Amino acid sequence: MSEHMGHPDGPTPLERFLNGILPENPVYRQILGICPTLAVSNSMESAMTMAGAVAFVLVSSNLVVSLIRGLLKPHLRILVFTLTIATFVTVADRFLAAYMHEMSRKLGPYVPLIIVNCIIIARCEVCAAKQSVITAVADAIGQSLGFALAMATIATVRELLGFGTWFGLSVMPKAWPAWVVMILPPGAFITLGLLMGAVNWIGAARAGKSAGGGGEAKKA
Amino acid sequence: MNHLGALLLLAINTALINNMVFHFFVGNCPFIGVSRRIDTAFGMGCAVTFVTAVAAMLSWTCTYFILAPGAPLTTWAWRQFNPTSQAVVDLSILNYVVYIFLIAAAVQLVEMYVRKFFPALYKAFGVFLPLITTNCVILFVCLEIMKHVSGATGPLYWGPDEALVYAVFAGVGFLIAIVIMAGIRQELDHCDVPKPLRGAGITMIIAGILALAFMGFTGVDKGLEAMFGK
Amino acid sequence: MSDKGGYIKQGWLVLVLAGCFGAALAAVHVGLGQRIESNKLGDTLGQVPKLVPGAVEGRSELLGGRTVYRAVDSSGRTVGWVLPVGGGGFADRIELLIGLDASAATITGLYVLEQKETPGLGNRIEEPAWRAQFTGRSAQRRLAVTKADKPGADEIQAVTGATISSRSVTDIVNDAVGRFRAELGASRQ
Repeated sequence: MSEHMGHPDGPTPLERFLNGILPENPVYRQILGICPTLAVSNSMESAMTMAGAVAFVLVSSNLVVSLIRGLLKPHLRILVFTLTIATFVTVADRFLAAYMHEMSRKLGPYVPLIIVNCIIIARCEVCAAKQSVITAVADAIGQSLGFALAMATIATVRELLGFGTWFGLSVMPKAWPAWVVMILPPGAFITLGLLMGAVNWIGAARAGKSAGGGGEAKKA
Repeated sequence: MNHLGALLLLAINTALINNMVFHFFVGNCPFIGVSRRIDTAFGMGCAVTFVTAVAAMLSWTCTYFILAPGAPLTTWAWRQFNPTSQAVVDLSILNYVVYIFLIAAAVQLVEMYVRKFFPALYKAFGVFLPLITTNCVILFVCLEIMKHVSGATGPLYWGPDEALVYAVFAGVGFLIAIVIMAGIRQELDHCDVPKPLRGAGITMIIAGILALAFMGFTGVDKGLEAMFGK
Repeated sequence: MSDKGGYIKQGWLVLVLAGCFGAALAAVHVGLGQRIESNKLGDTLGQVPKLVPGAVEGRSELLGGRTVYRAVDSSGRTVGWVLPVGGGGFADRIELLIGLDASAATITGLYVLEQKETPGLGNRIEEPAWRAQFTGRSAQRRLAVTKADKPGADEIQAVTGATISSRSVTDIVNDAVGRFRAELGASRQ
């Protein structure tokens, strides 16, 4: 977790932006938004399209919520977040259906599921409802990039091993027997689990080097 | 194949073969978060099943009567203003917004009901009950029902009975998944899991192995259909 | 829960937002609706020229309560038919487009619209080489699936390791073609 670095209101916009990419990565660190991460990460193309959709919804929702944050009443704020997010997801879904029809069919029901994607509601609640527009948008962009990075890592592994391609371009040699399980649900779960372990291990090694002691102990 | 048989096949299909967690990847957040102990996992599974059933019925009704293209209530209302119009009234752009509100309403309803009639259970659930609103399973079920009601005809069309069976057994499938995972994780407490994998990492790997096992159910419904005749 | 009056007073924001967002969504629907519809139709109608030789477009018609596409050439003459049909596969539903010649005596092509079969095994029914087995087959007799190396005149060689998916497709084709021929014959009397 990044420190305040003396800023009175918490992390600066730039810090929030950088935080979202690795230190507070929504998938690997906060363990949010796992559903689309597993579902559409069997090819880079669909993974990046999903990341784009999530980015659009996250940034727009944070923007709107931050703009009206003065008017939010505590009891109804979740309702307002949900209404905003649902609207932008509908827009994104219609847009994909109109201009990227093939992708829209591949992504299927997972685009509307962005509405209940924990990342977006969490960012609205934690950041956008309390911070200025610039901070909220910077946070949203950072988290989106973090999400895209997580999707890219998982999709790269799954597509390379499962299809032998990357972004549809053939990479693996012809002799490579495609690991079909990578494209299927079990491959998704196992890949994510192992990558989470890898990220934790790297994080612990880094913290161990700088603090000269035990790294972050993740909850067992 | 009579109607009851078709419903039974739908139930088996939804709970086991196309399991919500292991096939469709929905419901992962509570799956990771609430699967530490069997009793909380079982409670969560039951709550999700109940809420899904209520939300599915609400959303089927809304979709059929109001939102679908050519829905009865909206067409009737439109004809009051414009008696000669032959236009197909289509409110389906509002689908997602309406569904998420119905889900929030269903969670509120269930919360009030549980608080009134099962206060001990309500205390045990704590913060989990409102959290079910963001559970992907429920929205996924509503979307699936939408696919089979909005503009669907013939064998693709689902009446309220199919929708209810689908919703309940989607919850049952989630319950099975989360309870199995809880049972395994309770045993894991005695094992030496490598530090980087503790928590979410090992849960995902186990989920992968379970998903592999559940893949063995593929084709069972087709076999059953062949066995018991069309 | 807090006071009812508080909720009404606080609810104005939700109502205003609902109104604004509703208007925005309506605008999106009006703006993009056409394009989405034509995309959806393009999936099926775009295949008609590839499934029936000589066809330039498909016209949607109802026959026996089901939608079929009449394939016509540039002068409007019927050169064939395309049937959109579906049925149960191994894993989930399979949706197909079957191309027939004008008298529905020969199958001119097969296209898989949607399938969720096992990747690497069942989903090989989408491969052009496998689908090409259906081209030129007689529509007057039921086709059977075989694992033999050299399939007969009315036999389709199954995808290796995906016999059930292959059988599902063939069953869907047999049923749909048989039903269509019966209805076409009935409608011409």
